[in-house]
Amino acid sequence: MKRFSWNGLTARYPALFALTLLVLALGINFLLQPNLFARDTLNSNMRVFLPLVILAAGQAVVILGGGIDISVGGIVSIVNTILATRVGLEGSPAAMWQYVGISLLVGILAGALNGFFVAYLRLQPIITTYATSFLYAGLALFILPNPGGGIPTTASELYRSSVPLGLPLAFYVIAIILFVWGYIRSTRYGNFLFSVGGKAQAAYETAVPVTTIQFSTYVISGLMAAFSGIAITMLSGSGNAEIGSAMTLNSITAVVIGGTALSGGIGGVAGPMLGAITLGFLQNIISFADIDTWWETLAKASIIVAALATPGLINLIRRRRA
Amino acid sequence: MTLSLSARNVVKRYEGVVALSDGNLDVNSGEVVALIGANGSGKSTMSKIINGVVVLDGGQLLLDNQLVHFTSPQAAKKEGISTVFQELSLIPQMSVADNIWLTREPLDRFGRVKRKEVISRTQGLLALFEGTIKTDLKPETLVSALPPDEKQIVEILKAISVDPRMLILDEATASLDSRQVQRLFELVRRWKEEGKAIVFVSHRMEEIFRIADRFSVLRNGKTVGAGNIKEVTEKDLVKLMIAKDSIFSFTRSDSKKTEKPVCLQVNDLHADTLKGVSFSVTEGELVGIGGLRGQGQRDLLLALFGDIPFSGTVEFAGKSIHFHHPKQAMKNGVALVPGDRNREGLLYIRSILENFQLPSWARYGFPLKMGKARKDAEKAGVNLNLKMASLQQPVSSLSGGNAQKVVIGKWLLRQPMLLLLDDPTKGVDVGTKAEFYALLTRLCEEGKTILFYSSDDEELVGLCDRVMVLHDGKIHAELGGATLTKEKLIAASLGVSEEGAQ
Repeated sequence: MKRFSWNGLTARYPALFALTLLVLALGINFLLQPNLFARDTLNSNMRVFLPLVILAAGQAVVILGGGIDISVGGIVSIVNTILATRVGLEGSPAAMWQYVGISLLVGILAGALNGFFVAYLRLQPIITTYATSFLYAGLALFILPNPGGGIPTTASELYRSSVPLGLPLAFYVIAIILFVWGYIRSTRYGNFLFSVGGKAQAAYETAVPVTTIQFSTYVISGLMAAFSGIAITMLSGSGNAEIGSAMTLNSITAVVIGGTALSGGIGGVAGPMLGAITLGFLQNIISFADIDTWWETLAKASIIVAALATPGLINLIRRRRA
Repeated sequence: MTLSLSARNVVKRYEGVVALSDGNLDVNSGEVVALIGANGSGKSTMSKIINGVVVLDGGQLLLDNQLVHFTSPQAAKKEGISTVFQELSLIPQMSVADNIWLTREPLDRFGRVKRKEVISRTQGLLALFEGTIKTDLKPETLVSALPPDEKQIVEILKAISVDPRMLILDEATASLDSRQVQRLFELVRRWKEEGKAIVFVSHRMEEIFRIADRFSVLRNGKTVGAGNIKEVTEKDLVKLMIAKDSIFSFTRSDSKKTEKPVCLQVNDLHADTLKGVSFSVTEGELVGIGGLRGQGQRDLLLALFGDIPFSGTVEFAGKSIHFHHPKQAMKNGVALVPGDRNREGLLYIRSILENFQLPSWARYGFPLKMGKARKDAEKAGVNLNLKMASLQQPVSSLSGGNAQKVVIGKWLLRQPMLLLLDDPTKGVDVGTKAEFYALLTRLCEEGKTILFYSSDDEELVGLCDRVMVLHDGKIHAELGGATLTKEKLIAASLGVSEEGAQ
């Protein structure tokens, strides 16, 4: 009989840790908020979490491919300010659709710029996307210097309260992302992605188009950031150039909690999405636990650090015992 | 299917350093050509030009008498040229099957990889090495979980899975044991008969004579000789490689050993793969550890260095010791030259100076006396005949033999009493090997004790006073004096009992 091994299990199911953490967070959340599983509560929670879930999925693809994208928050902000200023509170559905399309294009372009720098000019991903993050955040401020603007209430209503077949909209979005990822993972592109993130030189020698793959991960991340920006705009109904800035680090945290290694080539996308949901519930717990707002950041950070350290601590204890 | 490839007057420079100044090579279908040369002579560069990993700066590459210009590995692959890379081209985080079929996955009509087919095809390939690999090497196993020899086999299978017209084997036997090499050679002969052209890059003379039809020798980036292998002897080739005679005839100092005190006494040592090992070594002795790969040799050295936990008693220099951490071993004058030079032995991208001084910085005070550190490193470099442009040069720019000198040098700077060597001449050219042998002999004369594992039987027989042969975690035989012959060593490695070997 093989002995139970946490390492072995997490290697096989990278999302396991995120799942464990999610169950824990849900449990505590449930104690604090007994109506947690009521449909309306679930719906309101999921629609708040969804922007980060989408963002984490994109971030996970870049990280799997051996890179990192610090600029996603900036892209979210640009998309938010474009929608809030161009569509406006009185905008027509047609205008909304038109600018949703433009937003996606902007996301792809922003991602392509990152990808060009990193893949073709061989610049350091962390520095490059850190620099472009200011570029994008600056653009967002240029478009909308002060919070304001908005989108038609019909659009935000659609996002906030449509429950097709009794399930919140967010579930469908998550299901679609998971389905698309499952497909991508099973194609040759999926193998290429993991090989480039695992060991780029070896992938190159095996005739994998390394540069193209790296480039594509940033485009995917940019596109997902645009989707995330659209979601958060529909959620808030208004514009704010600062809206995305806090989301970058959260997206990376979600990826790490989700069992996807920052070194690349290990993990998946489902784990990071679970990680993003977990982060959302942590936020919930903190708001329900009546913690003073100035303690909030500290409390949240402590929980995240503890959560991240747990697998390592478990291993350390096991080693000591052996 | 037939192919003829010819490289003419090939030139390749890396940032001003000439790696290849006049490389020539002719290979045709149905023959094995050995590409021979000392480390740094341009063998690897030559094979990388043929397979498109690097682009040549001058000269011509003719494929079937047509001028070709490979700008990427894809281009060469399209022409049916496949390579077993010395540094391996495997992705550690991916499975054996995914690695082998990467870029050539069978797809269904939705563009999805047919996993089942990938697995079954991989099983077919693994069957080629059946009997020489452990049964838990499955298509689904992650490459990172494999020992070096099995990684090498996966790399070979990956190269052959494209059914290439030409196969380049770059040091493909360096980490294989003798049974695996035997199987590989059977396969190479089969591939040759099927009409594949094979380039065999190796340091091992014996293997070259076993498998090659023709040879081509590189020296300092120039092709200095080529011809039919049947018309030359080992000595001829060595002469071509180093332009200096009889490098192999290192002399063993058979000085009358006076009774020296025991340096190391090991009793009933148990560790991961070790099942009770006992022996003793006297001061100034050079004791070899032999046997097939993976019989516990590595663990024995690691245990003595405090790198892995073990049970049993060890007496060193008259004291009972039990190291729990390499730093304790270092403090007591023990040094380990590990088996995986680039990963364990060196800070690969850092400078020669840093690598030399890494275990010794504590001696240079605070702030560090850099002048003295540099002078000491300089001296060590000269003593070891290290070929370098400057101490600031990264170790990654050195050839295998020179890099290994840095690994040994960093320990010698600490004046160790006991040196543990884990296959130190693996992937090292003959010239440097001879220097190593002389160095080890000199160290023993100075009173240092050496425990020396080698996968090269000839080396053990030629160099050591005594060889302990490990088999399945135990000392199966101890050979010395008249009983230390290559035949007996091989017999003992295979687990044959003393009587059976006679």
